[in-house]
Amino acid sequence: MGWAGIWESRELLLLGFWFTVILTVVTIITSTVLGFIVALGRTAHIPILGPILRGYLELFRGTPLLIQILFIYFGSAYLNFTGVTVFAAIVIAMTLYYGAYVSEIFRAGFESVPYGQQEAGRSLGLSRFHVIRDVIVPQTVTIVRPPLVGQYISLVKGTALASVIGYADLVRQGQGIIDRIGSPFAVFLVVAALYFVISYPMSLIERHLEKRTLQA
Amino acid sequence: MEVLAYFPDYLSGLWITTTASLLSFAAALVLGVITAVFRRSGIWPLKVIGAVYVEVIRNTPSLVQIFLIFFGLPSIGIHLPAFEAGVIALAINGGAYLAEIIRAGLTKVPSGQFEAARTLGLGRTDTFFHVVFPQAARYVYPPVINEFIQIILATSLLSTVALNELTGTALVVNSLTFQTLVAFAVALVLYLILTNVVSFAAAWLGRRMFHPPLQLRQERQHGKTLLKRLTIMAGGR
Amino acid sequence: MIVDVKDVRKSFGDVEVLKGIDLSVEKGEVIVIIGASGSGKSTLLRTINNLETIDSGEIWVDGTAVHDPKAAHNVHRDVGMVFQQFNLFPHLTALKNVTLALRRVKRMSKDEAEKVAMEALAKVGLAEKAGNYPQQLSGGQQQRVAIARALAMAPKIMLFDEATSALDPELVGEVTKVMRDLAQEGMTMLVVTHEMGFARDTADRVLFVDSGVIVEQGAPEQIFTAPSNPRTQQFLHRVLEA
Repeated sequence: MGWAGIWESRELLLLGFWFTVILTVVTIITSTVLGFIVALGRTAHIPILGPILRGYLELFRGTPLLIQILFIYFGSAYLNFTGVTVFAAIVIAMTLYYGAYVSEIFRAGFESVPYGQQEAGRSLGLSRFHVIRDVIVPQTVTIVRPPLVGQYISLVKGTALASVIGYADLVRQGQGIIDRIGSPFAVFLVVAALYFVISYPMSLIERHLEKRTLQA
Repeated sequence: MEVLAYFPDYLSGLWITTTASLLSFAAALVLGVITAVFRRSGIWPLKVIGAVYVEVIRNTPSLVQIFLIFFGLPSIGIHLPAFEAGVIALAINGGAYLAEIIRAGLTKVPSGQFEAARTLGLGRTDTFFHVVFPQAARYVYPPVINEFIQIILATSLLSTVALNELTGTALVVNSLTFQTLVAFAVALVLYLILTNVVSFAAAWLGRRMFHPPLQLRQERQHGKTLLKRLTIMAGGR
Repeated sequence: MIVDVKDVRKSFGDVEVLKGIDLSVEKGEVIVIIGASGSGKSTLLRTINNLETIDSGEIWVDGTAVHDPKAAHNVHRDVGMVFQQFNLFPHLTALKNVTLALRRVKRMSKDEAEKVAMEALAKVGLAEKAGNYPQQLSGGQQQRVAIARALAMAPKIMLFDEATSALDPELVGEVTKVMRDLAQEGMTMLVVTHEMGFARDTADRVLFVDSGVIVEQGAPEQIFTAPSNPRTQQFLHRVLEA
């Protein structure tokens, strides 16, 4: 089955593992920031902003991540945007894609806070900014955490698509090893296991957080 | 517009995307129901099988699952064409998510409903088909539809095993015409049409199938209910 | 005159809930507004501190034109509000509930805000509960914290929107006692309530609102013993029988 060959290639797999982890961490941060801002924008009731943001959500949640990655990667090459490297293209695409899903989580979180809380804040003279920062956001943190972690688990697995445009992640390293030693079944099993190592602890965290919010 | 000359290719790509989605979804639904039943049964080997299946699938990328089946299985003597391999992989993948959705739906039916059915003298099958199922179906319907849309989006991964569904077609047209923006934009628009048709059709069905009518699109689900739903239907993988 | 409401109208969709309300309130006056649910009495209260915008008419609160969108937010400086559902911030302790606006709006230092907040909490008899979270307090205590939270901002007018309606009967007394004390100290108060006892012994003036208009107003003894309008008679008959 080629287990020996895989063991000899362990450093490549480890390298791919780190590339996957780095991409995961970066896009978790960027998509969360984008999602939060979009969710805020949707609560703001600014005339043109609403339809624009809804269009953004429709577009990025109604089409596959893979074609978005390809579009941004090949599209920026076509337009001669030289700054858009493989890494940049994948981060941009994944941020826009997962940011759309994350924003829905934040929006639901904001809406789960009873309207009376906003009224109480306003009647005390708090500004819109302070109502959001000191009253609404702190109350959404616990409730928003389980679905957010769930979304991050999706994101970990989504990073695998980066290999399609040549990012040297786990899948890409696996393919390289297969090119040399064959044994695709064993190699992809190991690759899958390494994703499991990242994702499963997150699943356990998600479940734990979910139990905690149910108790609260 | 050079790209438009390839419009028939896009349509055949759309056809492959649609059939792959439908077949994967149907098979995933069957797998999901079986797994949910396994996990609720009192028989521990079945529970373990169900749990391991769900955990393994949900914690590994669908791209790697597709590669395992298309590139990996031949090395142990199983050769599958790209379409079949892809549909099987997406069905196995979707089944794990649907199993969780269905399981959550069944637990959603309050135990008082079972008790009420029992005090009325209803048998197990009557209780299931007339009391539990209609209530669970209503709860499960929106996330199941969402899962169907996720499967449609996931069929784009089949382009990586050289299947010319929509995304694959866009890649081919791009390499033939070098009209990158238009080549991908056409596919993007077709995806948008497909996913919107599905969600509108699902909303239409929801209003007719359920009593009282289930409002899928218009109803802005608020706060906590929406969050609970988002928890079991994290999007995009 | 500290509050002046002139011909205020307000509709929700097709339903007109305020049909031309006129009301002036003198400094230090305690006004109790009674009426059936849906009569518009809560809406009237909420228009005074701009939680609801009005369709036409004018509202003046101590020189602030509440009907003017540009000036309206200033009203929160002068008007405190207590809600039926308390609306305490569940993620903050009683003390923090009170200090939040002191710090963010009045820009007090932490120490100063806490000193003012402790005074306000002491006033409602809850100084020792300062470190508790709302869920750890009884309904009556929560509402008293909510009163302290509003009082700490040193408002000129206090609005009470059915402040005791969500409370268990045995907890109503502790809240109305705080409200009575406040009235005695000369606070200007507008109170929407179903507590006829409170209206009778504390109000300077009682307003009966029905279908969006002030049907009748006067001193409590006049309203409760000799109401002139048949609708007032009918309403009082119903609530006092119950």
